[in-house]
Amino acid sequence: MISVYYFGAISLVLIGLYAVLVKKNLLKILIGLDIMESGVNLLIVSIGYINGKSAPILSEGIGPSQAVDPIPQALVLTAIVIGVATTALALSAAIIVYEKYGTLNIEEIRRLRG
Amino acid sequence: MNPQYASLLIALPLLSAFFVPVIKAVSKKAVMPFLVLVTATQTGIAAWVFKEVYTTGKPIIVMAGAWRPPVGIDLYIGHFAALFAFIVAGISFFMAVFSWRAIKTEPVDKYAMLLMLLMLGATGMMATGDIFNLFVFMEITSITAYALTAYNKTGEAAEASLKYMILGGIGSSFFLIGLIMLYGATGTLNMAQLAQFAGSINPTVVQVGLGLIVFGLAVEAELFPLNAWAPDAYQAAPHPVTAMFSAFVVKAGLYAMARILYLMQSASGWHNVLKLLVIMATLTVFVAEFAALRQKDVKRMIAYSSISQVGFIALAFSLGSSIGVDAGVFHMMNHAIVKGLLFLTVGYVAVELGGSRIENFRGLGRRMPLTALAITIGSLAAIGVPMFNIFWSKVWIILAAVKANYAWAAAVVLTASVVEAVYYIRLIHTMWFSGGEGERIRENLAVGTIALFLVILILTIGVYPNYFWAVAQKAGADIFNVGQYIKNVPLMGVGS
Repeated sequence: MISVYYFGAISLVLIGLYAVLVKKNLLKILIGLDIMESGVNLLIVSIGYINGKSAPILSEGIGPSQAVDPIPQALVLTAIVIGVATTALALSAAIIVYEKYGTLNIEEIRRLRG
Repeated sequence: MNPQYASLLIALPLLSAFFVPVIKAVSKKAVMPFLVLVTATQTGIAAWVFKEVYTTGKPIIVMAGAWRPPVGIDLYIGHFAALFAFIVAGISFFMAVFSWRAIKTEPVDKYAMLLMLLMLGATGMMATGDIFNLFVFMEITSITAYALTAYNKTGEAAEASLKYMILGGIGSSFFLIGLIMLYGATGTLNMAQLAQFAGSINPTVVQVGLGLIVFGLAVEAELFPLNAWAPDAYQAAPHPVTAMFSAFVVKAGLYAMARILYLMQSASGWHNVLKLLVIMATLTVFVAEFAALRQKDVKRMIAYSSISQVGFIALAFSLGSSIGVDAGVFHMMNHAIVKGLLFLTVGYVAVELGGSRIENFRGLGRRMPLTALAITIGSLAAIGVPMFNIFWSKVWIILAAVKANYAWAAAVVLTASVVEAVYYIRLIHTMWFSGGEGERIRENLAVGTIALFLVILILTIGVYPNYFWAVAQKAGADIFNVGQYIKNVPLMGVGS
């Protein structure tokens, strides 16, 4: 039986991929990318989960042996920031595209071709 | 000097990028000289590292915070990273000089900052010894590349950048999934330790994980189904940035792919991934050459040619033999020089004459003789005419492909090379033999010097390839010989 966390994370990735491939509106594609990134981040965190253990902050009563894997949490923190940076950049490019072309439909944004 | 100073390769561009706003507040005119100064210093450091690594024959290993790997992140500056840090810094320096003349759109300070970060990201990708750190450097490279593509603020630039961002976003997500699968299977992110564990991982996990990593890196490395962004981005980006994309951003992606592949070479199911890569690489060469044939814009044509050469490199890396990897590294080096020269000169023509349409190149031989000569030599070298550097690397790649029983792949890429000759010779013909009016244009001294230097380098490697081939062999062994790689990294005694 596959864990519900893995199933959920992978489905989010697939939903995001579907939106990127199928949707015509640029903003919907960017939303799809964001969903995909969230799916990946959830997958990273769930890889490090150990059943029944607590957050990896060592304090009274919680020793190193009672904590979940702390490495994926460091990884996910980095990945979230990177995702946000990409989204911000993509949105600013989308604004320029809308100003210059007057549309967000990707089938009409085709000035570059050779 | 203490070899740990090699960490300046990462630290110097990062610090300088933070200083750019300060410089700009003092004087706006000082930004471009500052950029040239920083890239020149970086070239100096990289040259020192290169000399150090190649004279001692030992890699420089920088341990972040003095934590021994696999606990800390290590920078593994072996023969490959030393060579390419030098090439990255050198090309950045040339392009910084060219930018002084070519970049007139504001804001110059942001341009300088992004250029330094692009150089930092590419150097970091080549130098790092930790796969998550590789991902972070890859994202630094690609985010700066997205921003630099959109730098011209025209609709086309934003469109090209968005295409790149969407594909790059999918690619980096897939890369991250593959990476986390390998982490889940082994519990380590350090490349050397990962290579130690490679044999004992479940073959399905290795195949799916590696497949996802190859797929994710293929966006950055411009392999066939995922390279649609590249010609658009090359066409719309500022001219110096195009040269940097082609000369080292792609190379960093290819290197990362080769490195991760060869780390896992003891895993079962590894050869299936290689087969996938051979097919992708051959298709890249074939499709890109035919697409280049019908281009009207010279910059776009050279962009397609650049993609096809990248396919050659990927083919060499996916053969799974030591001679193939050596040939791939040699071709990477030659291609960086030749495409640096071609994009520099074509970009310079576009700056002077306003655009890189083929009409602008008519009669260029009389109007800008030095530039036209440089383009001619670059084109001949790219086709692979004997006496020029790419001749040797193409011959080695084809020999390696035949030796590894991929004669069909060799045949396909050779056929595609004939197509390459057709469009380059058409360009040369347009420049020298078809009329066209306009008086002579005075050529810029700095750009001319750089072009001449690269031309001389091409001819030197073409006539005396032995020294450079020896360098490429050492760098190739760095990737191929994983046993030596593991031995060089001072791993803490965990798990082994």
